[in-house]
Amino acid sequence: MNAPAPDRCRTLLGQLSRYIDGDLTPAERRGLASHLRRCPCCQTMADSLKHTVDTCRKAGAARLPADVRSRARARIATLLASGPAARRRT
Amino acid sequence: MPAVVTNCQESNPSTRSRGADYAALLRAAQGGNQAAMERLLMKAQEIAYRFSLLVCGHADDADDAMQEALLKTYRHAAQIKEPEAFKTWLYRTVKNACLISRRRRVDEPARVHSLDDLSLAPDGSLHAIDVEDPGRRPDQVLENSRLRRSLHRALQTLQPENRLIVFLREVEGLSTRDVAAVVGISEANVKTRLHRARLALRQHLEAP
Repeated sequence: MNAPAPDRCRTLLGQLSRYIDGDLTPAERRGLASHLRRCPCCQTMADSLKHTVDTCRKAGAARLPADVRSRARARIATLLASGPAARRRT
Repeated sequence: MPAVVTNCQESNPSTRSRGADYAALLRAAQGGNQAAMERLLMKAQEIAYRFSLLVCGHADDADDAMQEALLKTYRHAAQIKEPEAFKTWLYRTVKNACLISRRRRVDEPARVHSLDDLSLAPDGSLHAIDVEDPGRRPDQVLENSRLRRSLHRALQTLQPENRLIVFLREVEGLSTRDVAAVVGISEANVKTRLHRARLALRQHLEAP
C-alpha cells in the first residue's frame, strides 16, 4: 500500500473539524475515513483533535462549585422575593 | 489499525440537547411557572460564571457578572416575544454583562473594554475552576482539575474572538448558526475560525 501524499494530508487536515462535527458530505466522509485508515499520522491528528474538542465539552458539562451555586441560589431567592419592584429597576 | 475518530455530534447527544430547552423554559416562566423562572435564572448565572473564567479569564469578576446576568434575565424574560431567540439573547447578554463587570472594577480604567483587552489575571489563580464532584475518585478529580487548568491556559493563548467562538461552540454546545448570531459573523467564518482555534488548542493541550 502506498503512503498517502503529504499534499493530500494537508487538504484533508482542513476537513477534520467538519469531520468531527458531522458536517461533511457522505462522499467526503468516506474519503476522509479511508485516508485515516491508511495514514497513521492523520489518524493520530484526528484522535488528538477530537480529544481537544472533548476536553472543552467536559468543561461545559461540569457543575458549578458548591459555594458558587449556593450564592447563585441565594441571589435568585432575594430577587424573586423582591417581586415586581426588581423588574421595574433599570 | 487505529480506531477511526467518531463523530462528536452523533456520539454526544447531551451536547446537542444542552441548550435545547431554553425556549420551553422561557415560555413556562412567562406563563408564571416559578420553578421554570428559577431554572432560567440559574442557567443565566452558570453561563456567566463559565464565561468569566474561560473567556475573560477573571475568576474574581464572576460574582459581578452572575449578578448582572441574573438581573437582565429577570427583567427582560417577560418581554421577549420570540422564545426561540432567547438563547442567543442570553449569551449576548452574558457577554455584555461580563464586559461591564470588568469596566466597573475600581482598578480598571473607566472605558468600555473590548474582548481584545481581556487577559488572564496576573496571579493566575485558577482554584475556582476546580469543580467539586463528590461522586468522583480523588485521582479523577485531580485529572479533571489538571485538564481544566490546561484548557484555561490554552484558551488564553487564542485570539479573543476565537476564544469566544470556542467557548460558545464547544463549552456551551451552541450550534454554529447560534454562535454566528451571538458573535455577529457569518456561519462560514465561525467554522473557519473554530477549526483554526481547535488546531491551536490541540497544540497547547498536547504540549508536554
